Amino acid sequence: MSSDVVVDIQGLTKRFGPRTVFEDISFQVHRSEVVAVIGPSGAGKSTFIRCINYLHPFEAGRIRVLDHELVGGGGPPSKATLRQIRMQVGMAFQTFNLFPHLTALGNVMLGPMETKRVPASEARDKAMALLTSVGLADRAEAYPRRLSGGEQQRVAICRALAMDPEVMLFDEPTSMLDPEMVGEVLGTIRGLAAQGMTLILVTHEMQFAKEVADTVVVMADGRVVETGPARDVLEHPTSERSRTFLTRVLKPLEAAGDGQASGPGATTALGGDHP
Amino acid sequence: MSTLQLWGQYLPQFLAGLVVSLQLTGAALVLALALGTLLVLARTGRIRILAAIATGYVEVFRAVPVLVLLFTAYYSLAQLGLRLPGFWAGVVALGAFYGTLYGEDMRSGLQSVDPGQREAAVALGLSNGAVMRRVVLPQAFLAFLPPGTNELSNLIKDTSLVLTIGVTDLMFQANAAAAATFQPMDMFLLAGLVYFAFYILLSRILARWELNVQRRRS
Repeated sequence: MSSDVVVDIQGLTKRFGPRTVFEDISFQVHRSEVVAVIGPSGAGKSTFIRCINYLHPFEAGRIRVLDHELVGGGGPPSKATLRQIRMQVGMAFQTFNLFPHLTALGNVMLGPMETKRVPASEARDKAMALLTSVGLADRAEAYPRRLSGGEQQRVAICRALAMDPEVMLFDEPTSMLDPEMVGEVLGTIRGLAAQGMTLILVTHEMQFAKEVADTVVVMADGRVVETGPARDVLEHPTSERSRTFLTRVLKPLEAAGDGQASGPGATTALGGDHP
Repeated sequence: MSTLQLWGQYLPQFLAGLVVSLQLTGAALVLALALGTLLVLARTGRIRILAAIATGYVEVFRAVPVLVLLFTAYYSLAQLGLRLPGFWAGVVALGAFYGTLYGEDMRSGLQSVDPGQREAAVALGLSNGAVMRRVVLPQAFLAFLPPGTNELSNLIKDTSLVLTIGVTDLMFQANAAAAATFQPMDMFLLAGLVYFAFYILLSRILARWELNVQRRRS
């Protein structure tokens, strides 16, 4: 195992009561690697990515983020471990979840001021720099209600980046956006990848995954059915399950001819060609 | 004597009564907010027995007329050896009743905060206390304000019940003046006007405050 592993997941298993969401998931994420997790709806992708910063507890397996480890099954992790992991793992949500009572700037300043006791002036400078980097300097004083979906998601990404995370998690960051705003958010994520940020993203944007991801993990029916370099997996899938899925999302119109394009992922590939 | 002359003559007593009514409202409000907070903490906390007691308390006290509570606090407690002055019996009864309403308002305020807000705050690494203080409570407060101010205007009106245990509030003064002048129509009309004027004033102030809080956040 090379020393530049940022996230190491071994045998991760998640159950909600008697239902197994996913089982025995293992893979490693190296520094500056971009991993796209894809698969049909209901495959447990979002639940999986939320286990990494322990928004969901899990029943078995372990997750190591740099020097800190979460172990499933036993009691809850110590507060110190959770805090360390959450400070090192940034997250952007499908529904943005900006704090509506704070301005864009206030949202980005909150994390460092509350967790690292960074003085307000310093937090403000950093937040302004981040907002400027995503083209939102002029929206800094706006409240989330006044921002478009795409702007909200970019602010939410800045909010996570203000903590200087070692790895960023994206949980379907563009699936709630109107099509014309998808590009600006994907552009921001692409910029992070170019700067060498380690990224794990759950996405339905196959074209984006092909261009930006180093590695693609295909989840289906609660298991990893295929994993490998992005282009290989997306163009020449070896597992039958990922072939079916990819056919449906990449060629929805053809698949519709077979009467098979009923999957919820079927329509998303149409929006896949972004700058 | 004309109505206006009568009103002019009794206005000082009415205003003295209004002061008592306001003191009663203020003290009962403080007690109700404190009790409401305790009830919410107990009902959302992990200690089952406390949650059960709080739930039982809310179910019972919410269902009993305020007048019954008032007589209980004044007469029944005195029978048991705890003799409260009328004013404080009023505070206890009104506080005990409105505490259940405020508790419920606070609880629904907290529940109105999207779970995603808590998740986003937790994901940033905020401690549980900071999540509450910086993210959940500011939003819950906004949701609590409208029903909370509504409760307050009902509380003001319900203070008039303390007339029945001899507290010299606005209603008591109106009743006394009606008896002395044999003009109940005029005197209760004046009491109604004073309550109404105060109600309008207060609801305007509260509405403006609400609007300000909301505007500051949009």
